[in-house]
Amino acid sequence: MNLAKWTAGLMAGMGMLAFAAQAEAGEVRVTVAEYSAKTGPYFEQVKKEFEAKNPGITVKFEVVPWDVLLQKLTTDITAGTNADLSIIGTRWLIDFVQQDVAEPLDSYITPEFKGRFIDTFLSPSIMGGKTYGLPIAASARAMYYNKELFEKAGIAKPPATWTELQEDARKIKAQGAFGFGLQGKEIETDVYYYYAMWSQGTEILNKDGTSGLGTPGALEAAKLYKSMIDEGLTEPGVTSNNREDVQNLFKQGKVGMMITAPFLSNQIKEEAPSLKYGVAAIPAGPTGARGTYGVTDSMIMFKNSKNKDEAWKLMDFLFTTEQRAKFTQGEGFLPVNKEEAKMDYYVNNADLAAFTALLPDARFAPVIPGWEEVAQITSDAMQKIYLGGDPEAGLKDAAAKANAVLKK
Amino acid sequence: MQNRFLPYLLTLPSLFLAAVVIFWPVWDLIQIATHDVNRFGQLREFSGLANFAALTADPDFVAALWRTGLWTVLVVGGALLLSIPVAMILNTDFYGRGLARVIVMLPWAVSLTMTAVVWRWALSGESGMLNSALIGLGLIDHNIQWLAQAGTAFPMQVLIGILVTVPFTTTIFLGGLSSIPDDLYEAAALEGATPLQQFREITFPLLKPFINIAIVLNTIYVFNSFPIIWVMTQGGPANSTDILVTHLYKLAFRIGKLGEASAVSLVMFAILLIFTMIYVRLAMREQRA
Repeated sequence: MNLAKWTAGLMAGMGMLAFAAQAEAGEVRVTVAEYSAKTGPYFEQVKKEFEAKNPGITVKFEVVPWDVLLQKLTTDITAGTNADLSIIGTRWLIDFVQQDVAEPLDSYITPEFKGRFIDTFLSPSIMGGKTYGLPIAASARAMYYNKELFEKAGIAKPPATWTELQEDARKIKAQGAFGFGLQGKEIETDVYYYYAMWSQGTEILNKDGTSGLGTPGALEAAKLYKSMIDEGLTEPGVTSNNREDVQNLFKQGKVGMMITAPFLSNQIKEEAPSLKYGVAAIPAGPTGARGTYGVTDSMIMFKNSKNKDEAWKLMDFLFTTEQRAKFTQGEGFLPVNKEEAKMDYYVNNADLAAFTALLPDARFAPVIPGWEEVAQITSDAMQKIYLGGDPEAGLKDAAAKANAVLKK
Repeated sequence: MQNRFLPYLLTLPSLFLAAVVIFWPVWDLIQIATHDVNRFGQLREFSGLANFAALTADPDFVAALWRTGLWTVLVVGGALLLSIPVAMILNTDFYGRGLARVIVMLPWAVSLTMTAVVWRWALSGESGMLNSALIGLGLIDHNIQWLAQAGTAFPMQVLIGILVTVPFTTTIFLGGLSSIPDDLYEAAALEGATPLQQFREITFPLLKPFINIAIVLNTIYVFNSFPIIWVMTQGGPANSTDILVTHLYKLAFRIGKLGEASAVSLVMFAILLIFTMIYVRLAMREQRA
C-alpha cells in the first residue's frame, strides 16, 4: 500500500535526521552553566582563542541557566544526545559515576597538570582513586556585615560567636533595620541551617552514616534560628526569601548581617557601590566549632564522547592559569589554581582573604547517592520550623525520612 | 463496502499523528513508571506497581492531589464567573469597546512565566508593589509577607490563575454571544422581560455549549499549569502550595525519581481523561434532551 511507502520514507527521513545529529569529527560540544551575564561572553572568547590555536577543532558551547542544568543533562543523557564535556555540580558527580556516564580522566592527567590545582578543590572530584572531574568553579561562604549599621548600633567588630551575633542583631533591630538575614526559600535553604548546625559540632552525617538531624546539636541550631525569628531579629517572612532576596535586602542596607558567597562582593561593586560592608568569618558555637560550606562545580567528560582527545585539549586550555583567572575574576569565585591564587588580584583582596581563611573549616556536600533528596527533606523541615512548627518534632521526622533515604 | 471504511481511512492520517505525538510518549511513560529506573531514565528491572504504591504512601503526593483539585475548581470556577459578565459587557456596543477588548485580552499575550515573575516581585514582602500600594491607601499598616506561608500565597496564586484564564474564556463566550440572534432579545423585551429574565431564559441556555467547552478546556489547562506556582513559591514553603505538576517536577529533576514522577504523570493523565469523558457525556446528554 501507499501508506507503507510513506512510512518507509518517513522512517528513512528520521534516520537521516538522527544521523545528522551525530557529532561531526573534530567538533567538541560543551554544556556550561550560566553563572552570570558574563558567562556567555567569556566562553565565546574561549571559542575564538581555542579555535585559532587548534585548527580543525570546532567548539560549541551550550550555555544553560543553573536552575535547569540538571534537568537538561538528565534528558540529554536519557536521549543519548549529551555533549562531550559538561559542567556539573560536583555533588551530582556520584550519580554520574555510578551510572557509568562519566569518563575517568587519569589517563590524560599528567603530574604537571594535577599540580596546577589546589588539593582542597580537586579532591571532591576524585572517587575511588579516579579523577572524574576538574573543579571549574569554587566557592565558599562567609558572613557579610553592614559597617554603617554596625557603627550606628555601636558595635565595634563583627560577632565571633552566635551569642554575640544575637546581641548584635538586637542592637541593629533597635536602629530599625533587620539584624540577621535568614534565607528560607529555594536552593541552599538547608545550607543556611548547616552554618548554625556545624557550629554546634554536628555534621550532616554522623560517623555511622545516619543523618545528623536527630542529634541534640541539630536541635540547638534549629532552636537558635527559631528564637531569632520569634524575637524579630531576622527579616520578616523568612520563608518567602531566597538567597537573592536576602542579598537584595543587604544591598539596600536593610539587613545587618548575612551569610553568602563571594559573588555578592561583585554585585555590590556594580549595584550598590556606596554600601560600606565587611566580610568576616561565620560565627562559632559554644565549643568554638564553626563550618562554612564549600562548593565546587566540575567539568566532566562523558563516556560516550566521540572526540575525547579533542575534548581533552579544550580542557587543558580551559585550566591554564590565564583562562582560569579570567573566568574566576569575572564570576567572583575563588581561585582553584595554585599559580592563580598567587596573583595580586587575590592576595590584595580583603573580601576574598576572609573566604580563603575559612577554607580549613569548609565542608563539602557529602558524596552519597540520594543527597539531593536528603537536602530537600532538610529544607522542607526547616521551612516548617521557620513557619512556627515545633523544632524537636520537625527534626525527628526529618531525621527518620533522611535515614530511610540513606539506608537505600 | 468502500463507503464503510472511508471514514476510518480519512481519519487515519490524524490518528497516525496522534499516535506519534500522544500515544508514544504515554507508552514510554508507562514503561518508565513500571520499571526501576535510574536518574537518567535508563530502565532496570520491571517493578510492577511499586512506583504507584510509593506515591500513595507519600503524604506530600496525597496533599498535592487534593490541592490540585482545589486549585482547578477555584481557578476554572472563578474564571467562568468573571468571564460571563465581562464577555456580556464587551459584547454590548459602547465607545472604546475595541480598546476594552484589547485590555482584557492583554494578559493572554504575555507569557505565563513572565506574568508569574512580575507577580512574584509585586508580592515581595519588603519591596513589593502590592504592599506599598496597600500601605499608601491606608488599608494595612505593616507589610504582609504574601509568599511566606500557604495561607496567603495559595489564594494569591489562585487569583493570578483566574486573571490569566479570563482572556481565553472571555474569547470563547464572546464567540458564543455573537451567535445569539438579536431578535430574540427584541422579542423578549417586547414581552416585557427584565434584563435578568433575558439572561436566565435566553443568554445562559444558548451559551451553555460554550460554557461546557470552556470548562473542559480550562480544566485541562489549569490542572496542568506549572509556571504560576513554580515561579512564585516552587510549591513551598515545605510543599504547602504544591500541585501535582510541581510535585512531579521536583520528583523527576530535583530528586531524580523518574519512575515515581512518571507514575504521577500517568495518574494526572488518567484523572483528566476520566473527567473529560464523564463531562462530555453529561454535557452531550443534556443537550440531546
